[in-house]
Amino acid sequence: MPPETLVAASAAAADTHADDLRTLEAGLDRLQTDVERPLPWWRRAIDGVLPPVLLVIVLLAAWQAYTVIAQPRPDLAPGPLDVAAALGEAWNDGRLQLAVATSLERGILGFLIAVAVGTPLGLLLAEWAPLRRALGPLISGLQVLPSVAWVPAAILWFGLSDATVYFVVLMGAIPSIVNGLVAGVAQVPPQLRRVGRVLGASRLELATSVVLPAALPGYLAGLKQGWAFSWRSLMAAEIIAFGGSIGFGLGSLLQQGRDLADLAGVLGTILVILALGIVIELLVFAPVERGLLRRRGLTGGTP
Amino acid sequence: MPTAPAIRLSGVSKRYAAASPVVLDGIDLTVAPGEFVCLLGASGCGKSTLLGIIACLDTASAGTVEVEGRAAVMFQEASLLPWLSARRNVELALRLGRADLPRPARRARALELLDLVNLADAAEKRPHELSGGMRQRVALARALAQDREVLLMDEPFAALDAITRDLLHEELERVWRETGRTIVFVTHNVREAARLGQRVLLMSSRPGRIVNEWRVADDAPRRIESPQVSALSVEITEQLRREILRNAA
Repeated sequence: MPPETLVAASAAAADTHADDLRTLEAGLDRLQTDVERPLPWWRRAIDGVLPPVLLVIVLLAAWQAYTVIAQPRPDLAPGPLDVAAALGEAWNDGRLQLAVATSLERGILGFLIAVAVGTPLGLLLAEWAPLRRALGPLISGLQVLPSVAWVPAAILWFGLSDATVYFVVLMGAIPSIVNGLVAGVAQVPPQLRRVGRVLGASRLELATSVVLPAALPGYLAGLKQGWAFSWRSLMAAEIIAFGGSIGFGLGSLLQQGRDLADLAGVLGTILVILALGIVIELLVFAPVERGLLRRRGLTGGTP
Repeated sequence: MPTAPAIRLSGVSKRYAAASPVVLDGIDLTVAPGEFVCLLGASGCGKSTLLGIIACLDTASAGTVEVEGRAAVMFQEASLLPWLSARRNVELALRLGRADLPRPARRARALELLDLVNLADAAEKRPHELSGGMRQRVALARALAQDREVLLMDEPFAALDAITRDLLHEELERVWRETGRTIVFVTHNVREAARLGQRVLLMSSRPGRIVNEWRVADDAPRRIESPQVSALSVEITEQLRREILRNAA
């Protein structure tokens, strides 16, 4: 055999060898990865929505059955129909819409201010250890302190004005957001930072391309808790700080119901506050969180 | 014709604190460009420390380290960024290492590198959708993206099953021949070292020294089950055991 043919033959053999390796590897890859087949959207919607809706219907039915069978005093134990009637009345004279609009506006605005303040503060604490050591315990402490405790002080400082309400909301939300971000950054695996350095990232690139995205789940948890604390603090502040130039919110509606001994109205308002909390969670935080976790292969507690 | 070595270490020693034991003791090592060197030793012999020093992740207490350009590193864990797809992970290395490359060129280059490790179809998958072996191949593509002469590998296949590891040995050998990189491969697996290296260096433990070296004839394709690999493994294992026995006394 002439030498050229020999070379060509061995090159061809090397080629088939490389092709074999490719096919072999593709086969192994297919064996080792399973294809996820997502459920159709309507199936997921039914799976997610049906159980809680059924539970609510069952609870309402039990409540109504109790009022019909046991016949309790309507001023101490109103039935679901009484509560619905009270809400309808508040709707008709416009108090309900006003209260929902006022509270939501304050809650959302207060939360956004808390995000704007808490995020840079959290970043500063996460990246600068001396500051974290100094301020960390204080922020954790503030998170435990019920922000209602600030209401009397806020009234003395700012009077019965919107500033009082916002102050209390911020004192409730900022520590949660800061803590969430600090915890998120602290939980970034050191190996990822090492990889970033090996890849030649500068300090700024390391922060923006590696650390911050890696800390997003912790930050989001902080935001969720921050929103919960804003909403709670807001209700507390509205109940206690009543009158003056403070607008009419859901807390004020509760307080008015208490003054009028209108238990049906009070229960109705509680349900509205609860429902708003759930709606915000379902419409805003849950989809963001689900997307974030699914993209990272961290399927959270909820399917 | 003598060429400048890709890596030259002379008298490299390391101790973590003045009073702590010596981890590395007077390591001399020269690696030629395009060479495939396996660094073999028992756990705790300081081979990863040595790799860290060559990678500039750590500094030597004494001695000099010269590396041609900087080195790319691959770890035991793939350490991909879990929120980025395979392609974007490779692109990140291109963005951080070669800022001059425009975005479409980065994308094309990333796809090219993924095709080199036979992962063109998985480019848009995220790390959690890939198997361990596929993740390590993405990590290999990412290390190659840095376009550095020297590639350091720290037990990159230690966490994989034997079948996958066997295929990745072939894959790595092919990529090495195609790209002509200089590779320093750290492992505690004798057969792996005998299978892959052109030169196998055995390190002793406490203190870490290079105690022997074997040159492997690189004329025909090797397999982990080749008699040549087995014979060399037996020889290396015997000396490795003698080194470990020294520590028992």
